[in-house]
Amino acid sequence: MTGPGRPGPAVIADELRQVLATATGRPELAALTLDTPLFGDGVGLDSLTGTLLLRRVRQQFGVDVAAEDLNLDALATLGTLVTFVDERTGGDS
Amino acid sequence: MSTAVLVKCVVWDLDNTLLRGTYLESLPDRPPADPAISGLLAELGRRGIVHAIASRNPPEAAEYAAQATGCEFVAAECGWGRKSEALARIAAGLDISVDALAFVDDDPYERAEVGAALPGVRVLSPEDAAEAVGWPEFSPAVVTEEARRRAGLYRQRHRRQQAKQDFAGSHEDFLRACQTEVTIAAASPADVPRLHELSERTSQFNSAGQALPAESIAALLGAPATDVMTVRLRDRFADDGLVGACVIDWRQDRVAAVPLLMMSCRAIGRGVIDSLLTWLAGRAARRGAAAVQVPCPVGERSVPLRLALARAGFRAIADQAAGPGRTVFRCDLGMPQPALPDWVTVPGEA
Repeated sequence: MTGPGRPGPAVIADELRQVLATATGRPELAALTLDTPLFGDGVGLDSLTGTLLLRRVRQQFGVDVAAEDLNLDALATLGTLVTFVDERTGGDS
Repeated sequence: MSTAVLVKCVVWDLDNTLLRGTYLESLPDRPPADPAISGLLAELGRRGIVHAIASRNPPEAAEYAAQATGCEFVAAECGWGRKSEALARIAAGLDISVDALAFVDDDPYERAEVGAALPGVRVLSPEDAAEAVGWPEFSPAVVTEEARRRAGLYRQRHRRQQAKQDFAGSHEDFLRACQTEVTIAAASPADVPRLHELSERTSQFNSAGQALPAESIAALLGAPATDVMTVRLRDRFADDGLVGACVIDWRQDRVAAVPLLMMSCRAIGRGVIDSLLTWLAGRAARRGAAAVQVPCPVGERSVPLRLALARAGFRAIADQAAGPGRTVFRCDLGMPQPALPDWVTVPGEA
């Protein structure tokens, strides 16, 4: 359930898609599926785009992924990042 | 006789400074360039003064600003860090002193931050900038040879960025199409001054988190069971020279310890750090090590380096020796090691 003040997974996913499309200059990432890897062949997140993404997540959702997740496992796929953020912004699961 | 230090580069904010509005809040439309400021850019450009951008916007906002103002920018720092640090990186990238910078921003907080951190920078509001064009520090008597060289540096970067925009293939294909050449080689004594400079100038990509004195680097060159490796980068646009280095300590049994891994921010996105980490793993495996370990700060500034370590398969391990605010990242070498891209050469290795 998504209550008031909780962005919820769908909103988070859409926001992150926009951030990725903007940071990489690849508009097609606005249609990214949740199971797409962010590193490697999927999105090809590099140090610059990855840093922009994490800063945006912290600004937008108040979640500091880099501080909480030493190994940055949350960046495995779009879905893992959405779950990570959702759990810390009042999501139920 | 005292003369005003000439401004060589003006660093501009985008939102409500170069642009009439806020880039991200205006999407999908984009705010127009401020015509008076665009005129100022052109006038200063004719005097051999180059322009750069420090903005809290994604990189394509800077590309948009170049189109909208009709101005060529020699550098664009886009991110959420301190603007004083962005200015310091811009100065370092251009090989000029920060005292040769001016900074224009509509936000009083940003001006105060830069003014406090970098007292030598001329800090101006957009209104000030219009008047400053008459000040002696913006009025070189002649356009120098050096100014022409800076323009060349810009053109090389701009051509690379342009080529990237027009390139349809993968990032690795792009690096190959640029005729990227990464050379990894043992450091020589002649490299010591540049290694020292690199250790002072790198912040986001420096696993030691602090500068190493030149004497310490020179001492490492002759130290037993220690390798100091350099990374050089060039492509068909420019020769960037020595942009990265690492120190490998082989004294531990079966572990390649890396007390220093650093790279120039100029080399971000050009395959350098990934090549170096791949080479490190391969070298360590060939020497019989079971793992590579890199102690690294875990604060905000080291996020780019941690992203590179994560991509290369490094994992954080608990290690008291890492010190406060630091964690040891370890890559186990059990699996077959990925091959180096063919544009990486290592003289002396087959």
